[in-house]
Amino acid sequence: MYASKKYWMIAWILVLPALLIRIFTTIYPIIETFHISLFEVKLLQGIRKFVGLDNYLQLFHDSKMITSIRFTAIFVVGSMIGHIVLGIILALILNMKFRGQKALRTIVLLPWAMPMVVIAMASKWAFNNEYGLINDFIRRFAPSFNLDWLIYTNTARSAVIAVDLWKDLPFFAILVLAGLQFISSDMYEAAKIDGAGSIRSFFSITLPLISRNILMLSIFFTMWRITSFDVVYAMTSGGPGESTALIAYRVTTEAFTNLNTGYAASIAVVLFLVMAVLSGLSMSAAKRVDY
Amino acid sequence: MKRFWSLFLTGSLTIAVALSGCSGNGSRANETTSGTKDAGNAGKDEITLYTIQSTNPKFQDWLKEAEEKSGVKINWVAAPTDSDTRQQKVSTILSSGDNTVDILEINDEMATSFKNAGWLEPLQDTVLTDDVLNQLPQGYMKDMLTSSKGDLIGVPSYTGYLGLWVDQKKLEAAGMTSINNEEDFVKFLKATTKDGQYGYGGSWEKTYVFNEIATFVNLFGGDYFDWSNEGSRKAVKFMYDMANTWKVTPVDQIADKYEQMNQKFIDGKYASVFMWGTGTDYKQANRYGEDQIHMINMPEFAKRSIFTDSWSYVLNSASKNKDAAIKFLKYAASEDGELNGWKNFDRYPARADVAAKEEVAGDIKTIYNEIQSTNEVHGRPMLPQTMEFISEMGTLFQNYIQDKITLDDFCKKAQEAVERYK
Repeated sequence: MYASKKYWMIAWILVLPALLIRIFTTIYPIIETFHISLFEVKLLQGIRKFVGLDNYLQLFHDSKMITSIRFTAIFVVGSMIGHIVLGIILALILNMKFRGQKALRTIVLLPWAMPMVVIAMASKWAFNNEYGLINDFIRRFAPSFNLDWLIYTNTARSAVIAVDLWKDLPFFAILVLAGLQFISSDMYEAAKIDGAGSIRSFFSITLPLISRNILMLSIFFTMWRITSFDVVYAMTSGGPGESTALIAYRVTTEAFTNLNTGYAASIAVVLFLVMAVLSGLSMSAAKRVDY
Repeated sequence: MKRFWSLFLTGSLTIAVALSGCSGNGSRANETTSGTKDAGNAGKDEITLYTIQSTNPKFQDWLKEAEEKSGVKINWVAAPTDSDTRQQKVSTILSSGDNTVDILEINDEMATSFKNAGWLEPLQDTVLTDDVLNQLPQGYMKDMLTSSKGDLIGVPSYTGYLGLWVDQKKLEAAGMTSINNEEDFVKFLKATTKDGQYGYGGSWEKTYVFNEIATFVNLFGGDYFDWSNEGSRKAVKFMYDMANTWKVTPVDQIADKYEQMNQKFIDGKYASVFMWGTGTDYKQANRYGEDQIHMINMPEFAKRSIFTDSWSYVLNSASKNKDAAIKFLKYAASEDGELNGWKNFDRYPARADVAAKEEVAGDIKTIYNEIQSTNEVHGRPMLPQTMEFISEMGTLFQNYIQDKITLDDFCKKAQEAVERYK
């Protein structure tokens, strides 16, 4: 009993620093953010007064915020559909046996290894009508093509989603590929003997067996998308107008540009709650999908 | 017991590694060119400067002279080159009471935002004494660098004009020798718009476009804070017509900041732009000169009017090195300090007596003198929630230019924004 008590004491002493660091860097900021969200805090004007839930109520009447919520939903759904569909296709290609397969897998991963802010800044130029390589490429097939992607709402939004997809798709595909490689070739051979074609094999064997991987990946990728901000920060600054301002970008703008920290905190809290609910639902769903 | 010591050592090592990670300083605060903290610097006053100039090729020359003449050892931290990021970092430093930097270089947007927040040290009793102040542009000092309590919070490091720059070859090709009034201006824009090139180039990204809207508002005799004023309405209608009616400027530029606009101007896509400074970018591209790209006097619409700006050195209230910081600021405000900026950074001196000196020479001096004597010179119209207001106006403008709202809608919403942020 004595030894056990001592053992636990030492264990706690060793764990305590990490625990304190975690409390100080994670738990405290969350509590403080919630606390600040109940105040009207405008640093520039030296205002700090308790307003209860007013910031939260303002959130749902703020047209800029509604635009942000709408675009964040479009961004997450568009990006995830792209990741899942193209990610599976890319993974299937990478799973084929051909010369240079390993080299290709490494090359494909390169965009993922680059910081998003660098990619986004380069993309700002890439989508430029005058100098951009996107239009240069298109004009090789359609010489009269003329479009400045980042000045219209829909094309700017599409460009932002495309850049996000371009960066993280290889990572998604490589993780799907890992799942593919766990599928025994015996299953495909048995299916072939039973007369199944490649499409039937894909839907009856491949897809069900990688569905858990895809679900888990989708959960994490969705969460990363919801909290994305660097792509629009560097690429569009939320423009044209406010049309590509993701929610996380709005938090940054309110907190660090406008210095309305109370309001920014309320957006952050809502974002946090959305993430918490989503992760709960996702984990619950993940438990139900197993082959 | 052996296991205890093993666990203890592992734990200690973990803590040591964690703490060493925490104490690392990622900034370049201790980098200097004149040697680091060696014995030669012992006993010297020392400050940390948050600067936008560190990427300038002559920064080291400027720094060396500044250290020698101020007697202060200057550590420096590079400000981000992106304007949004820079503004956010400076806001964070000042609002959090961070004392790791003593002096910061801030622009008008930041000065307007911060001057009443109590984060900056008043300088009228120590640095901006009457003899210095009398040489600085009075209107600018009052509008931009004076707090509501009457404190002076910054030392302007130069005087810049948001001037009209033209490509001389295009002006000649249009058969014109000068642009004196609105009629000339429109004629020039139309004559030089052809073959995918435009008479006018702008930077209409939602925060940058503020400068141009306000410039046209001034030229038309309007008031940026009064959108029932006919001059204000005319100004944005004029910009709309440039883009949509006469098509002498591309709508595409609503995604452009100065870097894109300047590149296009240098490449010959535009015949004219409104731009700050003394033409450093054009010089570096070998496109500067009387026969190439150069600044001309503002055309007279309802009146001749121009904006002036500066980046100013300010003293962080949380600084622990205020004495040394004040020494540096006195140097920055001195003749030597201003000449150092002119020599190394091509910044036109803010002090009238320094600008008049022989050392300050060249065609930019000629045009600056002409502008000073013929234009109404203003500081830009800014409100305390500066960036929020600027961004909202820019968004409204972009919506108007893209026909998402009418001129009446623009003016109505712009007025609402003025009232909201005032």
